[in-house]
Amino acid sequence: MKMYLNSSKMLLLTRIALKHAFPKTGLSSYFTKKSTFRIQNVYMYSSKASSSTENVYNNFTDWETLSRKKKVSKAMKAYLERAKEHDEFMKRQQFEFNIGKRHLANMMGEDPETFTQKDVDRAIEYLFPSGIYDPAARPLMKPPEEVFPARKAAEFDEAGRPHHFLFYTGKPNFFKLLYDAAENIQLLHKYEDKVIRKKETPDPNASLDLNASVWLTKDQLEQMLVEAINDLEYDNFKLVMDRLVSLPYSYRCKEFIEKYRKTLSTQRFALEIPKPSYDENGCAFVTTYECLRKKARGDVTIKCPGSGKITINGQDLTYFEDTQSREQVIFPLIFTGMENKVDVVANIEGGGPSGQSGAIRWGIAWGLRSFVDKSMLEAMQVAGLLTRDHRRRERKKPGQPGARKKPTWKKR
Amino acid sequence: MLSRNIRLLSRRYSQAVTFRTTESSPTQQNENQVGLFYTMNNDVCKQLFAHGGLPKSFMKQTKTFTETALMVRLPALDIIDCIKVTDLNKPVVRYVLYGEKGAGKSLTLAHLLHFAHEDGFLIVHIPWVSDWLRRLPRDKEMSNSQSREGFVDIPLDAAAWLLHFKMQNQVLLKTGDLKTSKEYVWSKRESTPAGAPLAELVEHGIARVKYACDVIDVLLKEIKLLSNAKKCKTFVAIDGFNSFFYPLTRLSTPTKKKVAPEEVSLTAPFMEITKNDWTNGAIVVTTDQLAVPEDRQENYLPKYLLYQKGFEHLDPFVPMEIGRYTEREFLSCASYYRDRLWLRGPPELESELKLASACNPYNFMELCAPL
Repeated sequence: MKMYLNSSKMLLLTRIALKHAFPKTGLSSYFTKKSTFRIQNVYMYSSKASSSTENVYNNFTDWETLSRKKKVSKAMKAYLERAKEHDEFMKRQQFEFNIGKRHLANMMGEDPETFTQKDVDRAIEYLFPSGIYDPAARPLMKPPEEVFPARKAAEFDEAGRPHHFLFYTGKPNFFKLLYDAAENIQLLHKYEDKVIRKKETPDPNASLDLNASVWLTKDQLEQMLVEAINDLEYDNFKLVMDRLVSLPYSYRCKEFIEKYRKTLSTQRFALEIPKPSYDENGCAFVTTYECLRKKARGDVTIKCPGSGKITINGQDLTYFEDTQSREQVIFPLIFTGMENKVDVVANIEGGGPSGQSGAIRWGIAWGLRSFVDKSMLEAMQVAGLLTRDHRRRERKKPGQPGARKKPTWKKR
Repeated sequence: MLSRNIRLLSRRYSQAVTFRTTESSPTQQNENQVGLFYTMNNDVCKQLFAHGGLPKSFMKQTKTFTETALMVRLPALDIIDCIKVTDLNKPVVRYVLYGEKGAGKSLTLAHLLHFAHEDGFLIVHIPWVSDWLRRLPRDKEMSNSQSREGFVDIPLDAAAWLLHFKMQNQVLLKTGDLKTSKEYVWSKRESTPAGAPLAELVEHGIARVKYACDVIDVLLKEIKLLSNAKKCKTFVAIDGFNSFFYPLTRLSTPTKKKVAPEEVSLTAPFMEITKNDWTNGAIVVTTDQLAVPEDRQENYLPKYLLYQKGFEHLDPFVPMEIGRYTEREFLSCASYYRDRLWLRGPPELESELKLASACNPYNFMELCAPL
């Protein structure tokens, strides 16, 4: 009993994530668990049979012995062992992380007591500068609970009986969600019938506003349910939830619906967009500095009441001789339909034509944010105009003629 | 059926904007026709430009469009007006057309040639000087000049030019008013007597390619004399004139010595005829970046391209810049292309093309080609 209490504490601490768990505790472990449970049943049955040879009466009244024996099932035992192991592992990791953090603070000459995670990240970036493109692949030092995925809690009691009534579906949380949704739909139907019977009209003010949010993505839902689901199941989820939302009284289960929606971050640019400044003629202008692409860097000024004049380093668009570069420069203007409404002045240096034109394109798009409306801003973002292109030239590798190019294969 | 419908539709669309003028005689054109296209008569076109004179890409386009349509542009009209009001008894006025690459200098020159043809000028036209001095096809023939020591002849080119001259001036040469002033002895047996028609001189040059360069020398001298004597009025048009002043040509003597343009026997007569020491004529030359190698293409202004020497040779002249399309010219050109089904797609296309081509006529033509 004592052990159980301890383990329950542990259960509270640890959860299993099926998706990212260790190889020992993945989906496969779940299945092994289930199989051991069955084998155990068989085993128990056979033991009972063997005992029947000794005393026939015991066959019918051996509940006490059975329950005493079954207090902790083998599956539970195995689970508890694993949980304990994991717990110890995490403790060790946590300990090591704390020591490491203190070391790092000392290395950086800062106070270890007030050294936060932010400081850790900064220090790691400083000590291990990395140009690897994918941020996830760069060196990191995070608390162990972020690095090692969470694990699911035990799904059955010490007797080996599952807690959840949908345990045998394999995905109890997911099917519980569908079950709840369906139940809510039925409740709403019932409520609607009642309202109709009473001849009342639905409250027009109490409606659900879903414009500012979207359903959770598959990954997000998986994380929330701690279960892996496939595409078909995700589609089913969306189908059911959409059906629920489409009902006239869906606001009654607002809480349930909100739980599975994520608000859109539309206000992202609102704070950053600079207000245009005005020159002596009362002409609005915005200057974007640090327009970078490849090796080119420069600044772009956009003047709002204009006639579509483009000046690049004192020349007009003929500064670029090839059509592609010219098209790069005019694309944001054409896209927003501002080609005859603004003047563009760009100073650019370094790099070649494609880098320079790319930098100017980004600068124009970035500056145009101050002169376009919100829907156009969204469209620009979707079109990728506001995204910086961070790609640089890849270095040549020794032993081969280029960055990726390998020497010509020759048999001998 | 479908293609016919599209054709009709685009015709209808294009008729919303006027881009054509029926005034096909450059002598009659005026400011009202600026930016409009006029169609050149096929026979005239063949007569004037059969041996070059229109840029190659434009020739291709005329073949596609099955017509030679030139745009009436302001610089050409200005020069035509100037030539009309000039007193022909005064020394000749020299006009220099200059402008960016692809701005339409050669086509403006073609327009002026058409005018000169209509107005009854005797035309002395070099389609592209660089063809003589800088282009080296495999069958290019270079030989030392027989008549003048230290000069290089390009007889085949000279003969081809004489053919071009004959073709352009076939009407004037047939009348037989133009006679040589003195006797020219080519060899023991060959000679052109005094009072022989110019046509005979030209024929001699074509038939005896060996003497073609000398014939051109004599011919241009005679033309000058005839013009001074008011027998004819002469229109000199030279495209890529600055090529005569680039320090080195790509020609070489049979002993593989590099040749300067002054050492080519064809240069001297054309230098003579571009002097303003004669009357009753007009001279239009173009200076072009494309006529010289890339190390001399930084600027399109005549003084840079002509070098000091050429500038002093031409001074005083009337400079005439050929600029990019104006708004109106661009729209008219776009609707012309639409009419020819050369350009299709939504009307917003024009604004993008305008920006992308920066209103440069040649660029615009190139951009429209794949559309």
